[in-house]
Amino acid sequence: MTEASEIRVRHWLLAAPALSLIGLFLLIPYINIGIMSFRTPSTTAPYGPGYTVANYVHILSDSLYLSLLAETLLFATVTTAVCLLMAFPVAFHLARTTSRWRGLLYAGVLSPLLTGVVIRCFGWIVLLANNGLVNQALGTVGLGPFQLMYNATGVTIALVHVFLPFMILPLMTAIQSIDPHWEEAARTLGAPRTRVFQRIVLPLILPGLQSGVILVFVLAASAYVIPMLLGGGRVQTLPTVIFQQLMGGLLWPFGAALALTLSFAVLASIWAFVFLGRKRMRGLA
Amino acid sequence: MSRLSIQALTKCYAGAAAVANIDLDVAEGEFVSLLGPSGCGKTTTLRCVAGLETPTSGKVLFGDRDVTRVPPERRRIGMVFQNYALFPHMTIRENIGFGLEMRGVRGSEANKRISSVLDMVQLTGFEDRWPRQLSGGQQQRVALARALIVEPAVLLLDEPLANLDAKLRDEMRFFIRALQQRIGITTLYVTHDQAESMALSDRIVVMFAGRIHQTGTPQHIYDRPATKQVAKFIGQANLIAGKVVHRCNEVATVDTSVGRLLCATNCAVEPGTPATAMVRPEAMQLVKECSPNAFPGRIMERHFLGNIVDYRVATADGTVLAIQALGSIVHDAGEVVSVQIDPKKAWLLE
Amino acid sequence: MRLASTMLLISVTAVYLFLLLPIAIVVLASFNAAEYLSFPLAGLSFRWYAAFISSPSFTSAFLVSIAVGLAAAAAATVIGTPAAIFYVRFLHRHREEFRLAMLAPMLLPEVLTAIALLFFFNQVLIGTQTLLPLILGHIVITLPFVFLTVSSALYNLPATVEEAARTLGASAWKAFRRVTFPLIKSGIITGAMLAFIMSFDNVNVSLLLKAVGTSTLPIQLFDYLRYDFDPTAAAASTISVALTMLIVFAIDRIYGLRAVRF
Repeated sequence: MTEASEIRVRHWLLAAPALSLIGLFLLIPYINIGIMSFRTPSTTAPYGPGYTVANYVHILSDSLYLSLLAETLLFATVTTAVCLLMAFPVAFHLARTTSRWRGLLYAGVLSPLLTGVVIRCFGWIVLLANNGLVNQALGTVGLGPFQLMYNATGVTIALVHVFLPFMILPLMTAIQSIDPHWEEAARTLGAPRTRVFQRIVLPLILPGLQSGVILVFVLAASAYVIPMLLGGGRVQTLPTVIFQQLMGGLLWPFGAALALTLSFAVLASIWAFVFLGRKRMRGLA
Repeated sequence: MSRLSIQALTKCYAGAAAVANIDLDVAEGEFVSLLGPSGCGKTTTLRCVAGLETPTSGKVLFGDRDVTRVPPERRRIGMVFQNYALFPHMTIRENIGFGLEMRGVRGSEANKRISSVLDMVQLTGFEDRWPRQLSGGQQQRVALARALIVEPAVLLLDEPLANLDAKLRDEMRFFIRALQQRIGITTLYVTHDQAESMALSDRIVVMFAGRIHQTGTPQHIYDRPATKQVAKFIGQANLIAGKVVHRCNEVATVDTSVGRLLCATNCAVEPGTPATAMVRPEAMQLVKECSPNAFPGRIMERHFLGNIVDYRVATADGTVLAIQALGSIVHDAGEVVSVQIDPKKAWLLE
Repeated sequence: MRLASTMLLISVTAVYLFLLLPIAIVVLASFNAAEYLSFPLAGLSFRWYAAFISSPSFTSAFLVSIAVGLAAAAAATVIGTPAAIFYVRFLHRHREEFRLAMLAPMLLPEVLTAIALLFFFNQVLIGTQTLLPLILGHIVITLPFVFLTVSSALYNLPATVEEAARTLGASAWKAFRRVTFPLIKSGIITGAMLAFIMSFDNVNVSLLLKAVGTSTLPIQLFDYLRYDFDPTAAAASTISVALTMLIVFAIDRIYGLRAVRF
């Protein structure tokens, strides 16, 4: 072996453990899910012999699962929209503020991400329960109590809370990348502040916005812990049903097929979103 | 087009003044540079004229109109930034047409004007390209076109050539000056490059640490700098310290460590006051014989540059003078020579 | 103009409150003397912390989480650091593909990864009898964080520093050990700490891969919250949050929070 190729092999050895890990414990298992989704279900074991498309036929012809899919995508869409609305002011402020508390404010957005999902849901349970803090506060002025938990409202609030930083951070990065000279140039050319925002700032943060939307949408559509905690069994999404199929019912082929159906639906939604937005993205990297 | 008038302009940040008491009048169609090292306040002054900063005190007037509190979008200015600031998400056509769009001019009327201004900056046919497809020099010309198409009252340029390489800078220099003279627009230009400002301007304003040290034509500032800092910043200067012995009209006699010098001056200096004689390198000659206003010296270093030769000459008392002479006669290092100073070209500074 | 900026400040404050209130509530509840949280607080008490320490299920879950976290972080660091060095210094073609492969666990939905690993371990290995599947799953999940952090540390270090060492006579390994490694050490440690936090807090993967009879702290909390409300869980949560914040503080000191990017 020549010395050059010997060195190259040595270099690839550096990446070998990581590549083996990904190959063995990510790539192969994922391919296996695909295979699993075509296996025949069984009542005595996680799966039976042989292969079939019955799982997918079952899902696509049963209105229960189709409506579950639609509800899951709806949850994800609503969560994403609310996150977007709430992320805007914070992202702008964080990107542009010169206050010396900026580090602390950044930590304030980051620390929820580093706190566990369960703990954050715990906090919402304390707040939203029927005798929780929110209802107590409303009760002092004679309102309520409102059913804020064990329903779609509670689940949505928690979903928004958990995934909000994932919308704030890409948006903030996008706003930071805007050269202030562009805005100044627009002003010297006669654009009032609102037009500067509309014609310069907004178009330029579109890529970051798109990243945030895609990220939050995927996360919200795949969430199962949050609906289980805040929904208390009364709110079912496709991921929670999948979890039950796998852990409770040991129906692996069907669970796998459900998981892959959900993934395809999410991917298709994202593709449609990006496709519809491509005209606005022209000129941007 | 307007006159530009800056009156007693002061801008403070966190208690410290970035610029203090700036007074400047720019005539209609005049090209004035603000020249100085980084941090001298020239960009701050320009941004106050643009309206991108609000002065702490003082006034900015375009003609008779007080625009001090008017936001930039209503001042009718054209501004060119150092990094061009072309909108990356718009084509050249949309970039240049932006100012027109803000004034409600669209469609074929706008396209006509865009084409004509692109002709003016020699970028015909570039309408549908993107900024990232253009070179630095081309982007700068588009930035100029964008600023000029709205026919502003005043043109403001913030170190527009700083990001270009040396050769391109020279080309663009001529281009900007020719364009400005053709249109006749009142122009304020910020730069730290003294050669650039001398080549371009009708008048130069030299600034240090937030204050104006001198305003005048390039020739005037070069020959008759007002302060030591101005003398050193513009071109090279030999500064020789001494004491005034005698003054008669515009000529002063100064006793220095090098010898007794005759200098030109326009101040009423009294004998006995300490002063500095400033002599430019090209204002001295190396001669073989001694004569009035000439002093013996020895050549320490010699750099042959083709058309000129740079010398470092040490005089009897150890002062090292930088001298520049034509390359026709070349003296060697170590030679003993006589340095002759033209009294008309020696200038007295206080 | 003034109105706009005031409204901006109000909405920003509201969002920060929204983000931080639930966590603050949990911490408060852990010190509450009464069992149900109400205002005003019934009184300060450490009884729930005492309950936590004397609860075998909680303390063992806590220890399992720490052990798994340390193991996963260590392994992810040992595996991810050379991969990052390879990517930044030595890989010239197919860079995007490699990067995608390294970040795949972060880009794919965690629940899918958990399901994939569940099937895999049960079919290929002996199943989730031991903690091994859980640890392996956590290593896969946390690898991208180490990769990103160490890559960024390497990008901040110009290659010319290493090259200077080589021209001065150092072999490739020596140059790495004496020049590169000390300079990226803070980045590596930060990556390891991030990996630990991500493993410690993880619930999506842990729920599906946990060994029978064992539990991690988040899973223990999850079970508690599904069936009962007990402020002992609040004490457990607060301890978990305190641990995380301590590590974040350490990261900020060593490397700076700007390292935390997703």
